Amino acid sequence: MRMGRFSLLLVSCTLGLVLFTTGCGPTYPKEKFKESIIRLCKKEYKIDVKVKAVGKTVAIYLPLTNLLDFTFALTPEAGEKINQVILNVTRVILSTDAKYDFYCVMAHDVRIPEIQIVIIKSVEDVRRFLLGDISRGEYGKRMLIDMRIAPQAQKERAVRDVFDRMNIDKKWQEGVMQDFFMSDPTTLGDMGYWDGKFYIKDINITEFLAEEIASRIKLSFRDSMELNSSLILKSAKGVYVTSDPANAGSKYFRIEISAEPRTVEAFTSKSVSDGLFAYALKTSYDVIHGYRFEDFDYVEIKSLIDGRSSKVLRKDLDNYKPKKTKIEDVMIFDAF
Amino acid sequence: MLPQKLKIWKMHLKLYRTRILIILAVLLLIAASIWGMMSLESFYRNQTLAMMPLQLIMVALNAVIFVYMYLRLFNTSWGSATKNMRMKSDLVNVKWSDVIGMEAAKIEAWEVVQLIKDRAKVKQIGGKIVKGLLMLGPPGCGKTYLAKAIATEASVPFLSMAASEFVEMFVGVGASRVRQLFKKARELASGYGGCIVFIDELDAIGRNRTFSQFGGQETNSTQNQLLVQIDGLQAKEENVIIIGATNAPENSLDPALLRPGRFDRKIYIDKPNLEEREKIFEYYFAKVKYEKSLDIKRLARKAVYKTPADIENIVKESALIAARDNKEEVEFKHVSEAIERIEMGLKHRRTLVPKERELIAFHEAGHAVVLYLLHPTKDVFKASIIGRREALGVVHENPREEWFTQSKEALLADIKTSLAGYVAEKIKSGTTSSGVSSDFKQAMAIAHTMVWSLGMSNVGIVGDYELYGGQAHMFELAESMKEKLNKETQDILQKCLKDVDDLLKKEWKITEHIAKELLAKEELEYDEIDAIFKDYGKLQTQS
Repeated sequence: MRMGRFSLLLVSCTLGLVLFTTGCGPTYPKEKFKESIIRLCKKEYKIDVKVKAVGKTVAIYLPLTNLLDFTFALTPEAGEKINQVILNVTRVILSTDAKYDFYCVMAHDVRIPEIQIVIIKSVEDVRRFLLGDISRGEYGKRMLIDMRIAPQAQKERAVRDVFDRMNIDKKWQEGVMQDFFMSDPTTLGDMGYWDGKFYIKDINITEFLAEEIASRIKLSFRDSMELNSSLILKSAKGVYVTSDPANAGSKYFRIEISAEPRTVEAFTSKSVSDGLFAYALKTSYDVIHGYRFEDFDYVEIKSLIDGRSSKVLRKDLDNYKPKKTKIEDVMIFDAF
Repeated sequence: MLPQKLKIWKMHLKLYRTRILIILAVLLLIAASIWGMMSLESFYRNQTLAMMPLQLIMVALNAVIFVYMYLRLFNTSWGSATKNMRMKSDLVNVKWSDVIGMEAAKIEAWEVVQLIKDRAKVKQIGGKIVKGLLMLGPPGCGKTYLAKAIATEASVPFLSMAASEFVEMFVGVGASRVRQLFKKARELASGYGGCIVFIDELDAIGRNRTFSQFGGQETNSTQNQLLVQIDGLQAKEENVIIIGATNAPENSLDPALLRPGRFDRKIYIDKPNLEEREKIFEYYFAKVKYEKSLDIKRLARKAVYKTPADIENIVKESALIAARDNKEEVEFKHVSEAIERIEMGLKHRRTLVPKERELIAFHEAGHAVVLYLLHPTKDVFKASIIGRREALGVVHENPREEWFTQSKEALLADIKTSLAGYVAEKIKSGTTSSGVSSDFKQAMAIAHTMVWSLGMSNVGIVGDYELYGGQAHMFELAESMKEKLNKETQDILQKCLKDVDDLLKKEWKITEHIAKELLAKEELEYDEIDAIFKDYGKLQTQS
């Protein structure tokens, strides 16, 4: 009888604890979401950041004084600060009731504001990593990291150059510039911070996946001797195409790769070219299946060097690992 | 008024300090847990909470595994040993007529049956309500059997447990089982109108309680609980009778158990007498096929001091031996072999050198002659030179009747019988062997007891000098007295030795005859030995 009472008391206390703590709500309510990030960065690391959210994407601007060294490499201090900001953003974004799918950290050197580092992460990836659902290596590959000259700076420089050559009045020039740069970016590559203003867009999963495929291909060229020995990667870009009239409204991922052959043999070798296609398609499979994404009909790889393109239908791609289908056997090449 | 209230508060604090401390500790732990959880960010808090059910299951699983392993390791249990103990009276199925060989005990037990059957009547006439019945007596005499018969006759449920089942290494488990047992008995009694609780081998929890810091608390608490429960039966006037059985001496049980109101009715169930043995033999032989010429009276005479369980075993063993011999009926020789097998163990044939075999034959013949001619109360049952257990030969003796005391003459005859092997070896070969070892031990022990404890010396020493034998009192017995006692012991042995020597020399022809027969046949039954003596015109000593 005593044991029964004691057990009842124990169970009641445990249940009470669970109900009490679950009823407490999020640590960072959505009304104070931005303030929470700013306050946390300031309080814990003495870092001043700016935050802006668009749709389900939140952007954090981090001004630094020593982002790059003279070799244009990221300095350790800057790297540490970026990590600290990412950590704080992660804490807030995981413990809020605000629904965000992506976050983007933009760090730039106040001395050379044209150059910036943009890091885009999926919130779901962070959650899965912390819950041990994905490995650290995989988590690293799922981040989009790009060091670039701010697209807005490039545009401004080009326009001002034109204005100067046309001897247009400075006052009028500023008005035109404001109008010109009011438009929001349309791609992930256009996102940035320039002249005190955020240029961000609401990221969706499809463009994120397309960019991640391209990013992984770039990483592979950096790490793989096999690819590097025969090809030089110039660029890789991924897009998700919907309602393409040329393809009867199909939805597909198109990965455009510009990789020049290192040697004449590589230039003429079909196996090198086909190998690149197969590699890109395998990477696409890893990404798309990693996110369990199904809303596409095929994946197309396009070589910008020779104009060849190859595609694999979704059903064939689905069978790649489960049924050990050879990608090379199911690739469909467009006419040369 | 206020100081009074304060006093009461203080008293409550003192009374319930442990409980208050535990509650405070639990509250503190809960507060610390809430504080800890609150300090976590909601993501980590949710993660921790999500893990909680799994952790609870894991903890429970670990606990179950740990407890299981622990109990297996120490060969014990927490659980209720009383779960499957209940037997309905119709399942016990031991009829009153099946109980034989304990007529006196049956009369006593019948009262208990009457009490259970008609409790109200007993109360009406002012009869004393018996709560506990204690059955005392040697093992195998039918205590459990009688208890079952009481249950069958009274037509009430029968809860049977061995007292050893209460005893566990965990203090409190035994007491808890006693409570469970009586709770169940009361419930059954309320439904069936009565219940019998039978505790076998009661001495396991009923022996004198020890009040030591080095253990015994579990047995003490179990016994205390038993006492409380028996008292509770009286207070609540329920028709529950507790029957205890033990083969331990009554004085080894705790006096608290035996006082009136608890086990106040005692039934002594002793070994059966000749008439009872005859009935028991008849009862068990009725279940097997046996030769009609089999003299059951003679068997009953042979089975002196045998318990009903022994007799049942003899009959079963005889049936097995008869089956092995491809006989359809049990014959006397099968019974004889069964008794021999039970008493002496299985034959174990060793290959002996002829001289040793001859020496053994003369050794056993010496025993047989002295036993036959000198012993006032025992017969030769069988002489054998086939090895059994450690022995290379044996003369198995059989009491002619029940004697609950032993006379000086009988004890001297026992000594002489034991020494006869030694004397026979000496006469035959001029030397002796190590085969006399156990004989000497036996003879010495009897002589020692006769002188030291029984006042049977030839110089008139009386008194029990063994009382001085304890370590603490050893110094109180004078050395001169010890010397005197030991000398007298030796005198008895020497006198017996001389008597045996004279007898065997005088009857050496018979001894030789028996030895030769033993060498030829290996074994001689009583009848064959008797025939040899009669050939020489010798008659057996009668008491």
